[in-house]
Amino acid sequence: MSITVTGTIQRRDIGMGAWAFVTDEGTTYEIPRSADKKLLQAGQKAKVTGQVREDVMTSAMIGPVLEVKSFEVL
Amino acid sequence: MFVIGLCAALFNFVNFQGLGAQGEFDTLLLDFREDIPSTKLQQDLDKISQQFNVTPKLDNKFSKDDNVYIIKGDKARLKQLRSEFAKDTEFIEPNYIYKIPKQGQVARLAEYLDPRPEEAREPGVSFTGANDPYYSKQWHLHNIYVEGAWKQTKGSGVTVAVIDTGVTQVRDLIETKFVKGYDFVNDREKANDDNGHGTHVAGTIAQATNNSWGVAGIAYEASIMPLKVLSDYGGGTVADIAEAIRFAADNGANVINMSLGGGGESQLMREAIDYAHSKGVVIIAAAGNEDANGAAYPARYPHVIGVSALGPDGERAPYSNYGAGVDISAPGGSDAGKVLQATVDMDNKGEEVFLGLQGTSMASPHVAGVAALVRASGVENPDEIENVLLGSARAIHEDALNYYGAGQLNAEAAVKQATEGQITFQDFWRWLRENGYLNPRFWIDGGAYALIPKLLMVVGSYLLAWFLRVYFPFSWSWSLSAGLLFGSSGLFPLKGLYIFDLPQWPFRVLGSSIPELGNAIQGTDAFNPIFASVLIPLGLVALLLGHPKLKWFAIGSSIGIATCLGVSSFSDPAVWGLGAGWISRIFLLVNAVICYGLAHFIVTNEEKTAQ
Repeated sequence: MSITVTGTIQRRDIGMGAWAFVTDEGTTYEIPRSADKKLLQAGQKAKVTGQVREDVMTSAMIGPVLEVKSFEVL
Repeated sequence: MFVIGLCAALFNFVNFQGLGAQGEFDTLLLDFREDIPSTKLQQDLDKISQQFNVTPKLDNKFSKDDNVYIIKGDKARLKQLRSEFAKDTEFIEPNYIYKIPKQGQVARLAEYLDPRPEEAREPGVSFTGANDPYYSKQWHLHNIYVEGAWKQTKGSGVTVAVIDTGVTQVRDLIETKFVKGYDFVNDREKANDDNGHGTHVAGTIAQATNNSWGVAGIAYEASIMPLKVLSDYGGGTVADIAEAIRFAADNGANVINMSLGGGGESQLMREAIDYAHSKGVVIIAAAGNEDANGAAYPARYPHVIGVSALGPDGERAPYSNYGAGVDISAPGGSDAGKVLQATVDMDNKGEEVFLGLQGTSMASPHVAGVAALVRASGVENPDEIENVLLGSARAIHEDALNYYGAGQLNAEAAVKQATEGQITFQDFWRWLRENGYLNPRFWIDGGAYALIPKLLMVVGSYLLAWFLRVYFPFSWSWSLSAGLLFGSSGLFPLKGLYIFDLPQWPFRVLGSSIPELGNAIQGTDAFNPIFASVLIPLGLVALLLGHPKLKWFAIGSSIGIATCLGVSSFSDPAVWGLGAGWISRIFLLVNAVICYGLAHFIVTNEEKTAQ
């Protein structure tokens, strides 16, 4: 399922630490640490297009994994 | 924030102590750039060995790719090297000796350090449980009364599979027993941790204890089976995880811990869990960290004990999931106090550290550790182990949102209950737990059977009968009520009942409504189209119409079946051969209408004959 959402990057102190993307509607996605470092800045607003990975589980468990295909810093 | 805080703590610590004065390094680390030619690298190494009369050595077997070399050296030599080799190296730095855990040397532990001056401390005598220097800071182990459990067992002979980011055998896991595991991410036998999460989780379960080193673990005489399914960033596929569950079941694991979650429902994973459960494995998983109502997968699958997290105050941690799927709660830590175990710090080249972490990931291994202790006490059936864990938990009486499941984990009570074999329950439902097994989800969301449609069916059938009666007066009788009940829903709570060593199908049959009988024995979900149609009511009417009392059973069941099929056509319309789409919906609805019509027809005729 490919989606485009706008929201804010947050750093979560869960387990070894995780990156969250909280959309303007209030949904929380987990962004893998392997995503572009330019995106992974706490507090940064961005428009992200990516794939929600139904088949992936994580140790952070903060929300569905959003695999970033492209993004635009707002 | 935590990492930044720790870095700040490290910085302050370094500034305050003055590393030079302490003489805390006697070797230097040189990291040569990877883009210089190997001949140039060799030239530099030769030059260093001639100039300083030392032999540069590789740091470890992994450091060859990174060109990290170690030489003997002090502050003066460090300065000299930095001026001469700056352009060929990424960095040259003191190889600080963090030979954990001499108190005061590990910066990451700063927040856990005893504030009292050194002479005021009484090494190893302020507690009775373990001589590990940082055991006194493991509030999460004290919280579950682990010392009381250790009097009986330390988990010897039990194997716990840690399905995670892998496990690195850090110093405080050296004495811990390991069995063969597997790395499903890189497809190799050695399942080392390149994230830090799995090692921490394994530490809670079986960190070497009473070894005068570091921290303690719960079932420290148990064996760890490291299974790596999550990559260095902490994510992994359902396929790998399902594979790992089967691997654990096939290779003698008694307990599985999964401090992971997310994704959607997966048949593959459900089957793997059922398989492991059927082989006698207790499966424990974290509830998830979304602060959401309802546990994440895999904690919400049947046969998985879902664990929510507690802070040091005994309250649900603010991030922990709650509600359906939470079977028990255990310490997971919060900002007020985290779970302290040894692990590797990949941000610092995999250096060994004692880290305080928080998450339901940290809560789950507490339950897994205690499950291992219960297993070692002689309780072997996974459902019985779950009953002991849940039955011995400290009950929380006001828990409307199911923050805590059966309560808060209690290792001492669990082992006591397991050892004495006295599962003395007072009320009827508890008696059921002793003799059998009532799916705990029955209490949470009626999960074994969809409760709401069932109730709709019963209530709906009575409403229909009442509706008929308004127009065509007849008297209620037991045979009519029985017909309504068996036609609509059956004795459905029986479907959730399991008795050890007895087949479950008789309960499914007794718990099924008449239309469900065609698929009850197989235990499948889809209706058998012959049973879920007007044929059975027609047959019953033909058989019983001549009997003055039993014909009311036929009428009742006809109405009951009408509501069962009617409700099912909306809630769960799967029918063999017809799929679960609009064809089966129409099939069920049409049969429901005919069933109602049949009852209507007989009742009207009944009235006429009565006149």
